[in-house]
Amino acid sequence: MCTVAQLTDIMKLARSLVLVLLCLLAGLTASAASDFPQALSGLAEKSFKKRLGAINAVAVSGHERAQTVLEALAQRRLFVANPGKRLVIKTEAGGYQMAVTGEPAGEIAKPALKRVKTNNRLRKVIRNALGTLTLRSPDPARRLAAAQTIFASRDASALPILEVALAAETDIQVRTVMERARAASTLMGSAGEADKLEAISTIRQMGNQDAIALLSAFGDRAKGAEKAAASQAIAEIERTLALWSGAQNVIYGLSLGSVLLLAAIGLAITFGVMGVINMAHGEMVMLGAYVTFAVQEVLRTSFPGLFDWSLLFAIPLAFLVSGCVGVALERGVIRFLYGRPLETLLATWGVSLILQQAVRTIFGPNNREVGNPSWMSGSFELGQLALTWNRLYIILFALLIFAGLYAAMRWTSFGLQMRSVVQNRQMAGAMGIRTKWIDALTFGLGSGIAGIAGVAISQIDNVSPNLGQSYIIDSFMVVVFGGVGNLWGTLVGAMTLGVANKFLEPYAGAVLAKIFVLVFIILFIQKRPRGLFALKGRGIEA
Amino acid sequence: MSVAANSILYLDGVTVSFDGFRALNSLSLVVEPGEMRAIIGPNGAGKTTMMDVITGKTRPDEGDVRFDGKIDLTNLDEAEIAELGIGRKFQKPTVFEHQTVEENLSLALAGTRGVLESFLWFASAESNERTDELLETIRLTSVRKALASSLSHGQKQWLEIGMLLAQDPKVLLVDEPVAGMTDSETEQTAKLLREIAKDHSVVVVEHDMAFVRDLDVKVTVLAEGSVLAEGSLDVVSVNEKVIESYLGR
Amino acid sequence: MIVRLLSRSLDHWSYGFLAVLVLVSIILPALHLLVPPGSYFHVSGYAIGLMGKYLCFALLALSVDLIWGFCGILSLGHGAFFALGGYAMGMYLMRQIGSRGVYGHPELPDFMVFLNWQELPWFWLGFDSFAYAAVMIVAVPGALAFVFGWFAFRSRVTGVYLSIITQALTYALMLAFFRNDMGFGGNNGLTDFKDILGFSLQAPGTRAALFSASALALGLGFVVCRLITRSRAGKVLEAIRDAESRVRFLGYRVERYKLAVFVISACLAGIAGALYVPQVGIINPGEFSPANSIEIVIAVAVGGRGTLFGPIVGAVLVNFAKTWFTGALPELWLFALGGLFIAVTLFLPRGIVGLVQSYWPRLPAAGVANRAAKPSTEGSTR
Repeated sequence: MCTVAQLTDIMKLARSLVLVLLCLLAGLTASAASDFPQALSGLAEKSFKKRLGAINAVAVSGHERAQTVLEALAQRRLFVANPGKRLVIKTEAGGYQMAVTGEPAGEIAKPALKRVKTNNRLRKVIRNALGTLTLRSPDPARRLAAAQTIFASRDASALPILEVALAAETDIQVRTVMERARAASTLMGSAGEADKLEAISTIRQMGNQDAIALLSAFGDRAKGAEKAAASQAIAEIERTLALWSGAQNVIYGLSLGSVLLLAAIGLAITFGVMGVINMAHGEMVMLGAYVTFAVQEVLRTSFPGLFDWSLLFAIPLAFLVSGCVGVALERGVIRFLYGRPLETLLATWGVSLILQQAVRTIFGPNNREVGNPSWMSGSFELGQLALTWNRLYIILFALLIFAGLYAAMRWTSFGLQMRSVVQNRQMAGAMGIRTKWIDALTFGLGSGIAGIAGVAISQIDNVSPNLGQSYIIDSFMVVVFGGVGNLWGTLVGAMTLGVANKFLEPYAGAVLAKIFVLVFIILFIQKRPRGLFALKGRGIEA
Repeated sequence: MSVAANSILYLDGVTVSFDGFRALNSLSLVVEPGEMRAIIGPNGAGKTTMMDVITGKTRPDEGDVRFDGKIDLTNLDEAEIAELGIGRKFQKPTVFEHQTVEENLSLALAGTRGVLESFLWFASAESNERTDELLETIRLTSVRKALASSLSHGQKQWLEIGMLLAQDPKVLLVDEPVAGMTDSETEQTAKLLREIAKDHSVVVVEHDMAFVRDLDVKVTVLAEGSVLAEGSLDVVSVNEKVIESYLGR
Repeated sequence: MIVRLLSRSLDHWSYGFLAVLVLVSIILPALHLLVPPGSYFHVSGYAIGLMGKYLCFALLALSVDLIWGFCGILSLGHGAFFALGGYAMGMYLMRQIGSRGVYGHPELPDFMVFLNWQELPWFWLGFDSFAYAAVMIVAVPGALAFVFGWFAFRSRVTGVYLSIITQALTYALMLAFFRNDMGFGGNNGLTDFKDILGFSLQAPGTRAALFSASALALGLGFVVCRLITRSRAGKVLEAIRDAESRVRFLGYRVERYKLAVFVISACLAGIAGALYVPQVGIINPGEFSPANSIEIVIAVAVGGRGTLFGPIVGAVLVNFAKTWFTGALPELWLFALGGLFIAVTLFLPRGIVGLVQSYWPRLPAAGVANRAAKPSTEGSTR
């Protein structure tokens, strides 16, 4: 009884053997680079076997035209032109050129042309032959690409070619990929157990999804020690991958957390320190983003060379614009509402509507294009992690702002006055502190920081009049979760929520993850109404 | 345990700390049924925290708080404790400003605490009579229809005491009842409290020495969260420690 | 008992208001149905629908006022209860479409067929019956309010904290309902309704009936609120608003009172939403948006919180202004609304009713309720 699987195995074996033989044959003739025209003429032969041999001969010849010809053959653009059995290639433009030299072949009548036929088997051979050619290309990038192609095709027949190429290879990076390709080919071929085990360990070191796919394909047909080694390797890779994806989640989470931190930290001052509910806080962020847009527009049209510095101009400007709006808001509305938080909430919501509509009227309702400076675009790899520069910069930027603000609150005289006003207004006033000024400036500081956050957020999010709305609830959640009146709480709160969100996302999807986090916070404040870093004591109950 | 068993309020070794600050430090205090007790002490001595602990607003970190000799108060919340019969007057007079004097008292009247019950509640002859009585006691009959917010500071204090009485409690905790009162109001308040003490246990926290002298009851001096001295005002006021920490030389 | 309760709760102003509502619910539909379209007195179907909508918002505003004006609970998420009631009604209306949908499936609404669903999800079962849907209109918002309030009030989350988490609640629900796999039509919501209780929704008679139903629901809601606020329980609620801890030390279980009134308020909001949906012909997740909830709060503030007439007046005025602005000056509407938020909180803390009262002190709501207008500070302490 001969099962289908056995049959295909036998056929594969036979095919490999044929291929190896052919390769050897090709190797014999390879020295004769001048034999290219002759090898080429073999392509016009009727016999399948001869054409097969000719393909390899062309490939091994290493002739500069070899690749063009083989590609044309693969794309069914190679024809035999009668009379004279000249091989011609149909060009993209529609004309014909001589296969041997690449010179124009002149006008040829349709009936005189006969296409060189290929079938699946031939096409596979051509692919490999092309691979061989590029494996020996003088350009390392092309060699690398060729090795990667072979790895992906897992073609056992490529093994001899790889060996040859490896022996000559000097570039470390290309070498590694070639070794992997060789390991892949070994696994798929008929090598001995020792070779295969070694190949497994080579593949294992790759440690990515490709490796898993290859090993499991191999493991499906392997037996005994080979199968065990393969599944062990898969398990190991999966463990490492889980670690990497954990690390990835943490980093993405920190990146999201930094955005939350940026959005919330100004709120931690206005809400946390002053106890003012500013529903227009999100709009301060939005104003910062639009300042960035405006700065970039001006630079683009007037000083294109300075575009990379746009954020440097935008940050202080955004701080000023949002800060001034903040001071105006405090002086114009909020100061009349101290001690009436619910009214403050409503009035500032009104302000937020007005600011949104104002921006919509001036800049239009659609998303505005804000560009990344060149030093912020692009990405880099760290192990299995793909990180974009702008995410990394935003994490750093958020931490920098946090540190700066913390230092300002802690060590500057403004910070001291601010804290004293918060703790005991009358006493601070009696000591000669102009409490009203401090109120206005504190509010301005919180709003200004929101503006700076807007500059950062413009780099990763759409800049539209609704920008602020999408951050306001999250920001409040961060401040409430972290504990009101505590900057550290805001930092920890933002990062925790960011990371939690990213860990939930793979299981629940982005929207559901967000819902989970919201529900969690709703439940959390029931348990700890004053947040993570709560102040305890009699005074705060009052 | 006999001390505990015969007491109306019994605190033993009660400690409360806020972020490392010990507001109460192993405080022990016994109030007998029917007794009126004055508590004095400097700011931050723990007087208000002690009231918070007794009324369930603050949970002690350690220590025993018992009511009526047996009931453990440390696991109950404010409403449960209030229903047991402990009434509390705040330092700052707290009445329902947007309701009339009458309505304030009527809400405080004992019984009827459930939601449905109070939805279906109608004033009865009995409840009206009791309200009249209370108005008489706290001397606010003439302003019964007035909004609480229109009362003078002293009148609000009395109204709050009246609301306490309406609850018909066994113990009244009264926090600084005469703060901000005129002299004649203070005198009247002392009279009122003495009257109340006839059939209630009362704990009064006060700064005003003349008022405490006027009350003429046993005095407990608190300092830094524990009891410094106990006895009649004359006795404690010559106590060396008390003079040093509170009364000053 | 009921008579006694009613006579305690309703003064002649209330009877007057109810009488006006009844008259309106008869006369306007009559003018719509009986007077020929060309006549000066004819009320168009558009106008009937619009006013029906206003009445639904008035009921929602009333429900917000019940907890905010009388108990100091500022919910910025009441739109969620309104929308849930609306969805319950929408589900009934969807089931009534039957095989008349675009895909002609006898049981599944179009969007489910579109999503390749094979059978109705369990939570859609029963919605083919109006009685069941009617129960759900009240029960679902009520249950959500119960669970939410049970947690929140027990842990003494008050003031702005409560406001912010109610806002987060409606925001979370909005996100959830935007999802297709929630089974509520995702982004598009529920629409293309055909008929209600067998009557076509396009028919003038049905529209008129829905208008009358809204007016009656508003009247009933008003009576319910009056019953509550004029009872001793209502006094307790006011007391909670003004001095929560005092109430606690009097022995009242503050959290139970808050929970009870919160649930009742949510049920009223649900009914408002259910009447709203057939009149506008659609319900989608946008109804959950926090902006909607806060808009109704400002309507209450405009009218005068702590008075029951105030929110009704406020809701009608604010929504009338919205209709006018979005038609005539759409760019200016948000400026006007924003300005309204600021102006009312700064200059008109007692709302229109409060303003009128200060010129005409004998105005009705001058009962206990309106003294509430003075801003209380209790809710503010955290």
